[in-house]
Order: sequence, then structure tokens, then C-alpha cells
Amino acid sequence: MIPRQFLITVIILFALAIAMSVYVWQLRRREIRSPQLTEKNEHVAPPASGAMERVTVYVAYDSGGELRAQSISIPLAAGRQQRAEGLLRGLMSLYTAKDSTHPLTAGAEIRQVFLVDPGIAVVDVNSAFVEGQVSGVLPEELTIASLVQTLATNMPELARVKILVDGKEQETLAGHADLTGFYDVQQIAEVAKQLSAQ
Amino acid sequence: MHSNSVGRDSFARYQLAASAGILVLALSLIGAQSSPQSTAPQGQTQSQVPAAAPQSGQPSPASQTAQVAPPVATPPKLLIMIDPAHGGTESGAVLNPTILEKDITLALARRLRLDLGTRGFIAELVRDSDVNLSTDDRAAKANAAHPVLYVCLHATSESGGTGIYTAMLAENGETNGPFIDWNTAQFSFLPASRTAQHEISEAMQKSGMPARSLSAPLRPLANVTSPALAIELAPTKADVSLLSASDFQQNVSTALANGIAQFLSASGAPR
Repeated sequence: MIPRQFLITVIILFALAIAMSVYVWQLRRREIRSPQLTEKNEHVAPPASGAMERVTVYVAYDSGGELRAQSISIPLAAGRQQRAEGLLRGLMSLYTAKDSTHPLTAGAEIRQVFLVDPGIAVVDVNSAFVEGQVSGVLPEELTIASLVQTLATNMPELARVKILVDGKEQETLAGHADLTGFYDVQQIAEVAKQLSAQ
Repeated sequence: MHSNSVGRDSFARYQLAASAGILVLALSLIGAQSSPQSTAPQGQTQSQVPAAAPQSGQPSPASQTAQVAPPVATPPKLLIMIDPAHGGTESGAVLNPTILEKDITLALARRLRLDLGTRGFIAELVRDSDVNLSTDDRAAKANAAHPVLYVCLHATSESGGTGIYTAMLAENGETNGPFIDWNTAQFSFLPASRTAQHEISEAMQKSGMPARSLSAPLRPLANVTSPALAIELAPTKADVSLLSASDFQQNVSTALANGIAQFLSASGAPR
């Protein structure tokens, strides 16, 4: 004859084992789902929203190694951060177009722009942006001057700009231009002047 | 009594030896203090580099006191440090499937070393083989050699002429006695670097090669404590294979050597 107390203990332990199995199975399902969510987050460029505005962007021309001011119409949101992202995405649409003057690969994107007071912008680009960049001092300088000068022209309060790749600091853009520090907006304006005067 | 006199004698000998030791030490200290390299701040000493480069063969004042023979009055040889960018697993730009930037820069650097040698200068390469070197290592090697000019060589496939770059520096970093900020070490040498940039640009254009003078965010230029330039070789037309052509490289090398000689001559540096 099995003692009653022993029987109750076995039943309780059995119930606990089943409950734990169900819990572990649910955790596993959640873990399987999470990478899919991350992949979805990689498509960071939201559909353009806001009123159409005419803005000045600085476009790189590889053929003559020049930087030229160009007026384009793009939809821009009211918020400062969204506005900065909109500006750079407008510029990127020129570089990823078929007849681009400074071609970048089709997947090249501006992931996010963070504005930090006073006067700092952190531009986060994706890895396709870097992989599609032509390696060389001048081609890389053209890209950086184009991004920074476009932001600075439309956001006069900006003093310094930092460029990240996939949210992380990278040593260089494509083997030459230094990405470890901050870019001084006034210095880039000088470089832009030099590049425009050629 | 006898043992006492022996003790006094040896005590006197010790005193004499100690006095002589102190005298030698004092003379050495005086000699070391009168040495300009040990007292002058690093920035000041370095800023005079094009006119009076550190002379490796010249004896120090301390050693002069010990020498009987007068110092040999040989003119100092000026050192130019040439840095072929990239190397090893870091190939730089892939100019075409068979031409890598690291090979072009090394070939040009070797030519430039020869051309500078024929003009009476000493030129050393930061790397003379296919090895990996970080930009910090390159700057450290150049700074340790105290060159009158540091030239970093690059190459790109984008046509549009040779680019001659100085460091892009907004402001000077913190200087604490002889220690200067690594990230802005080039700051006090920028005027001399711009003079070199101007002279080399003129020499290139005299040789019929288009050249552009710009500043660039390029390491290790900002970390070098001597006049420093980066020179990016570019094809004059959209033909990358030109970069590996012997004639083209020789023309560039000759023009660069002429420009460097002109810069050093304008700085009053002896040869």
C-alpha cells in the first residue's frame, strides 16, 4: 500500500514538471521570434512625411572632385531630429540614384540622426553605406563634407558632427577618412569652400 | 696605533673617491642642463626642424667635456620620412583587380627615396615591405626619427589629379610641459606643412601634372610632430593602369623630390 502523503507529493511534483515544460516551451518560442523582429528593424528609413520644402544640399561630384550646392524639394517633418534625417535621406536618394554623380550602393542608408545639445549631431549610417564607398582620401572626404555641410547649412546651430556605422564607432570610412573624432562644422565649411573652388 | 693610521688612510681615500664622484656628477649635470634638446620644450625644438634638424652624428655637450679631439664639422644630412600607406592585409583601395593601393604606394616610395638621395637628402621608408602597420605606429616611428618632413603616400582610382593634403585640425589640444596632445600633435607644425604643400604643388604643376591642395581628416597626419603631408596619386585620365606605369611614377617622384628640395631650400636647411 502506497502511503497517501507520498502519492500527493508525486502528483504535485508531476504538475510542477508539466508547468515548467510549458514555460520553457513558451520561452523558446519567444526566442525564435526575436531575431525576426530585429531584421524588421533594419529597415529604418520610414516613409517620407511632412510638407514639401525646398532645401540646399551639398552634392559630391566624383568626376571633378567637387562639392556643389544644389536646391532640391523634399518632404520634411517639423521635429528637429526628423528634419535632420529627412535632409540626409534626401541627399542619399541622389547618391543611390542610377545616374549619381557620387555613387553609393542601393542599400546605403542613414539609419538615424541624433541631435545632442549644444550643437552636436550624431549621424548613424548602415554598413552598406561604408561598403559602397569608393576608397580614397578625396572620395571619402567628399562624402563626409557633403553630409556635414548639408546638415550645417540647414541647421545653423550645429557645431560638431560625429559619424557612426551601425551604431558603432569605426576607425575610417573606407580606409582613409578618420571617423574616430568629431567633425568641426567650421572646418568642413572651409573644406567645402576648397572643394567648390576647383 | 698602526691600525688607526691605516683606517685614517683608507677613510681619506674614500673621501677623495667620493669627492671625485660628486665632481663628475656635477659636471655631467651642468653639461646636460646646457644641452638645448633637454631644456627646450618639444614644440619649440620641433618648430625649428626644417632649419636645424636633430643631428644624430653630433656629440652632446656632456660627451664633449670628456673628448679631447674637436668635433668633426660635417654638415648634417636631412632626413625625410616617406610612409607608403596601407600594407599587409590592409590593401587600401582596390584600384583594379590586379592593382592594389599598397603596392603602388610602396613602389612610388622607393622611387622617391632614390630621387631624394640623389639630391643629397636621406630618405627613410616607414615600411619597406608588405607589412601591417597601424597609423599610430607610423606616427610613432616618424616622430622618433625627427624628420624635417613626413610624406605619406596614397593612391586612388578617381581621376582629377594628385591631391596634396595637410592635417585637418580645428584647434590645439592640451599641452602639459613637454607632453603634447597626441590627437593635435601636428598643430604647431601646420604653417610649415602648408609651405611644403605649396612648394610641392608648384613643382607638380611645373611638371605638367595637375595638383590640388586641401586639408583632410586623415591619420596619422594629425599625430606627427614635424611638417607632414599626405600625397594621393590619381590618374590624370580615367585609366587606373597609369598608376602602375613606370614613366608616370617616375615623373611624379621627380616632381615630388623637386618640390621637397625647394621647400627645404626655402626653409634654409643645409644639405
